[in-house]
Amino acid sequence: MKKVAYYKGCLASLSAKELDSATQALAPKVGLELVELESVTCCGAGDIHEADPDYYLHLNARILSYAAAENVDTLLTVCNVCTLNLRQANFMLLGDADLRARVNENLVAVGVPAYERDVDVRHLLWEIADGEGYELLKGAAHKGLKGLKIAPFYGCQILRPSKIQGFEDPDRPWSLERIIEACGGEAVDYPAKIKCCGFPIIQAREETALGELIQPIEQAYEAGADAIVTPCPLCHLSLDAWQSKLKAQTGRDFKMPILHLSQLVGVAAGLTEAELKFKRHVVSVKPVLEKLEV
Amino acid sequence: MEATHDVLVVGAGCAGMRAAIAAHDAGANVGVISKLHPTRSHSGAAEGGINAALGNAAEDSPETHAFDTVKGSDYLGDQDAIEIFTREAPGDIYQLEHWGAFFSRRDDGRLAQRPFGAAGSPRTVYAADITGHVLIQVLYEQLVKRDITVYEEFFAWKLVENDGRCQGVICWDLMGGGLKTLGGKTVVLATGGQGRIYRTTTNAYACTGDGAAMAFHLGVPLKDMEFMQFHPTTLYPSGILLTEGCRGEGAYLLNSEGERFMKRYAPNAMELASRDVVSRSEQTEIDQGRGVNGSVYLDMRHLGAERIIERLPGSRELSMTFAGVDPIYDPVPVRPGAHYHMGGVETDNDGLTELTGLYAAGEVACVSVHGANRLGGNSLMETITFGRRAGHAAAEWALSNTTIDVPASAEADAERELRALLDVDSGERPWQIRQDLGTSMLENFGVFRREEQMARQLEIIAELKERYGRGVVVEDKGEVFNSDLTQAIELGNMLDLAECMLQAGIARKESRGAHARPYDYPSRDDENFMKHSISRLVGGKPELSYKEVRVTRFEPMERKY
Amino acid sequence: MQVGLKVWRFNAKTGERELQEFEIDAPEEATLLDCLDIVKDRHDGTLAYRKSCRMMICGSCGMRMDGAAVLACKTRMYDIAQAGHVPVISAMGNLPIVKDLVVDMAPFWRKFQSVDPYLQPGYEEPLDGREYLIEPERMNVIHKEALCINCGCCVSECNAMESDPEFTGPQALAKAMRFVGDPRDGRKVERLEALNGEHGVWECTRCYFCNERCPKGVDPRDAIAKLGAESMKEGIDRDMGAKHAKWFVTSAKTTGWLRETELVPKTQGIVAAIKQTRFALDLARHGKVPPPFPPHVAKDVKEARRLHDLVRDQGRAGYAGHVQGERALGRLAHGHGVGAETIEEIYERPGAFHRPFIAGEEENA
Repeated sequence: MKKVAYYKGCLASLSAKELDSATQALAPKVGLELVELESVTCCGAGDIHEADPDYYLHLNARILSYAAAENVDTLLTVCNVCTLNLRQANFMLLGDADLRARVNENLVAVGVPAYERDVDVRHLLWEIADGEGYELLKGAAHKGLKGLKIAPFYGCQILRPSKIQGFEDPDRPWSLERIIEACGGEAVDYPAKIKCCGFPIIQAREETALGELIQPIEQAYEAGADAIVTPCPLCHLSLDAWQSKLKAQTGRDFKMPILHLSQLVGVAAGLTEAELKFKRHVVSVKPVLEKLEV
Repeated sequence: MEATHDVLVVGAGCAGMRAAIAAHDAGANVGVISKLHPTRSHSGAAEGGINAALGNAAEDSPETHAFDTVKGSDYLGDQDAIEIFTREAPGDIYQLEHWGAFFSRRDDGRLAQRPFGAAGSPRTVYAADITGHVLIQVLYEQLVKRDITVYEEFFAWKLVENDGRCQGVICWDLMGGGLKTLGGKTVVLATGGQGRIYRTTTNAYACTGDGAAMAFHLGVPLKDMEFMQFHPTTLYPSGILLTEGCRGEGAYLLNSEGERFMKRYAPNAMELASRDVVSRSEQTEIDQGRGVNGSVYLDMRHLGAERIIERLPGSRELSMTFAGVDPIYDPVPVRPGAHYHMGGVETDNDGLTELTGLYAAGEVACVSVHGANRLGGNSLMETITFGRRAGHAAAEWALSNTTIDVPASAEADAERELRALLDVDSGERPWQIRQDLGTSMLENFGVFRREEQMARQLEIIAELKERYGRGVVVEDKGEVFNSDLTQAIELGNMLDLAECMLQAGIARKESRGAHARPYDYPSRDDENFMKHSISRLVGGKPELSYKEVRVTRFEPMERKY
Repeated sequence: MQVGLKVWRFNAKTGERELQEFEIDAPEEATLLDCLDIVKDRHDGTLAYRKSCRMMICGSCGMRMDGAAVLACKTRMYDIAQAGHVPVISAMGNLPIVKDLVVDMAPFWRKFQSVDPYLQPGYEEPLDGREYLIEPERMNVIHKEALCINCGCCVSECNAMESDPEFTGPQALAKAMRFVGDPRDGRKVERLEALNGEHGVWECTRCYFCNERCPKGVDPRDAIAKLGAESMKEGIDRDMGAKHAKWFVTSAKTTGWLRETELVPKTQGIVAAIKQTRFALDLARHGKVPPPFPPHVAKDVKEARRLHDLVRDQGRAGYAGHVQGERALGRLAHGHGVGAETIEEIYERPGAFHRPFIAGEEENA
């Protein structure tokens, strides 16, 4: 078992509890021993990163430090934005000794251990798309997706900027497709799978955001997908919870179920509803479950 | 007529924009014509820097700068023009800085200055290795601030002369289609050079000498046409420029054996000798078998990754993208390439040509600041200083004259010629002639020149002109974005200018500056040839004559580095 | 080498579109631009595209290859040709197409002009007539934004602009940051006020396509973030986007975790939040609206509170907080691990070129 520090982020703690429960239940099946970090805060999302960048750096340095304190090599995330924020902060510290020294001085001043031992930040997606995690995934997904058509939605920040994320070609990603197929599903291709769901501006500029949001949902629908899977709870929130707003705007009721990555793999691996918590979704997942005879 | 203006500026690079700004600030109504959007102009590709005797890095003075320029010109530069140039340069730099130009700085906040070829004192102001880009940006910003009218993607085709004056420009509107005539009380040519005459050149596709050709066709004299500078460090095989700034930061030039061969040619200045000296040294090494793929090597390994990434990031990226080489780890293959034309439309110190109302500034002009060879960093400075002077002079004249008279026949003649161009349906495509021109010019009129080769080249040009004259096929007969048409016209311009270059080159029986004849006339001959070549169109053919060099304080000496 | 290209031809006057395939012979070092030249010269002279410098500095040749904006002169074709891939070449996005690969740049330049893209000095010019004295670190605040060559690759791929064409866009906003961060400019606050409007910085959707596509490393998204940061620092924070961001900061230093439920009223105001009641209730039924009480407080959150107050007074608020990371992140662009070797090690690499020497001297100069 690979021991990793687990940072679940804000949404998995609250409105997307289903992501956390599915992840925690899935982890041992793919060889991950999760050590949940407790003395952590929100990573700041794009908001603190933009508005208060120095604070953003320190908040994330604190998370990295507490992860390092668990004596692990990997800090595991389950959200695109957390991944980008933590990786960017990590590169800022690893690449500039003076900056790291300054940040560490501040951390220590408030009672946080200095960030000295390096950790690598990796999204669960990367852990199970390749290598040991992938092999275990194949074995674990025995219940399988039974040919279900799944549209992968990457969103933005798990792919870009690629010089920070770097796991796969940002224009030709393959990780979600590979996982879908390993779980017995059929991956559906469509152009908007790497575009933005609009979540960052869904409150401040709703109309613009909805103009973005409709693209993956409409395209996945027209490609015959049974569901969309996404590695980001923020994308999940807009794709799932805001889907009703699309109906109000366009008159079209897509009824497209949106699954978190952990749930997709989890349902293929035979996790229970208590673990998967599909009931928490705004758009019903029932059609998928019926097809899977779950 | 589409519109009329007090001052029309043709070309929107550094010289053109600076002239437009000066004319506007002098109270004139200005129209800028450019076949590209202004920020696409080739001035933006300049890398290393812009010279002025600010004295920030070391003791310096306009007199020293003037002497370096005169010596660099191999004593063919007009010294009164050079003295004006070096005296006014510092003020022009400060003006740019006050407008917000982004220059690299010293720790004390002053403008940084780096050493450059043949400079007695480090006086090259720079912005990392993207100085031209920074200047284009600040000038365009100032153009936008003044809301100056720009006719962009208007291909200037013919100057209109009437009543002993230049009265306007006939253009082909690339976006809208059709011929458009713009009337101007004065016209300032700032169209740059013609490196594209050569197959290996640092120049953009757009550098085809249109302005010089337009002036030439009106009978306006061109000066010193034989002097084409070959930049020593152009990437192999593309010809893309690697700035002299690399050598300014300490890069070495090596032959195939790893020897810093400049020691044998310019023992004091080494890699920072004058460009013509360095190009000749490289060419000699290559000709004598110590090159690789017709190139030598620019070696920056000893500078270290930190310095390269900080001071020369652009050069590194160019090497990696276009030569497939990372200068941190490997030396970069470079060879001489046609880079800058010292010659051009003859002007006085205010940019005025022989034709009333017609001015010129920048590379298209020959004042002459650079004589037989230009110092690195002086060209950008010339565009600013003489761009300003020409724009101002044009505005002053325009504001004291009221008429514009473009005869209808000018437009009708142009229409007919256009029809003739577009009506050719069978024959050669322009690229074939363009390729033959480029290859033969490089071979017969390159770094080293010989009588037989130059004579042969003159014949080749005559053949090419004949092929062109039979009519080339413009496949695109349409009105919208017809670059097929404009490229065909550009080829005609280059052929005419090439003929002038060769005629002047054969006649100059000496080696001076960039005109090197080591096999037949290896020395400089001040007695017979310390004079400018003048090319003028007479009876449909270029006619050669000579003009005095204006000497003020520097008597010609032997030129050693 | 043999190169295959599929090019979208388009005539704005007739509205005709056609995908044309070309098969050409090109030198191994050829770029996409070189290939287009071969097509235009030898196969079809009517093909329209812009070009000039061919060395990634003029910004003329922006176009899409397989749906992603690139500079044609920067795109080497060797690997693509070797893989047998035939790319689809089309005009840049988000701008009207005039012909084939030529777009109408007028909307692009209008947005550029809308941010007052020229220095507006607020200070007396230096008394001695010489340069403003500006230390390198202060000048370097804007060194990335100053790299922009106006090519349009960022604008082509902007997801926010695709949804709302009125969005100011990455290029104009990066240019605006170039002046907001220039120590000589005297109208920073006025500029920021203007940039906080409806189509300003808070409409950016943070898709990072602009950073990814920019061929010069400008990172427009980061420039937009710098503008957002500086706006907050100057107290310009009335926009919903700013309020949204402020609530994240407040959450982090009070409870650690994002106080999601209060996010809507805090961002949009009570009245607008009430209008969303039906929507909110729908979410609440599925547990998506966690009750704000008791607050979900992270362990040791007082550390986060103290960190906030501590760093606030360290002078890195506003864009400075972004700029401080650029040194390290810039290294990423140059490739991980570059520059780790000593010069000696570089000379000693297998297959390395000769060490430089001067004939007749023991050591080189």
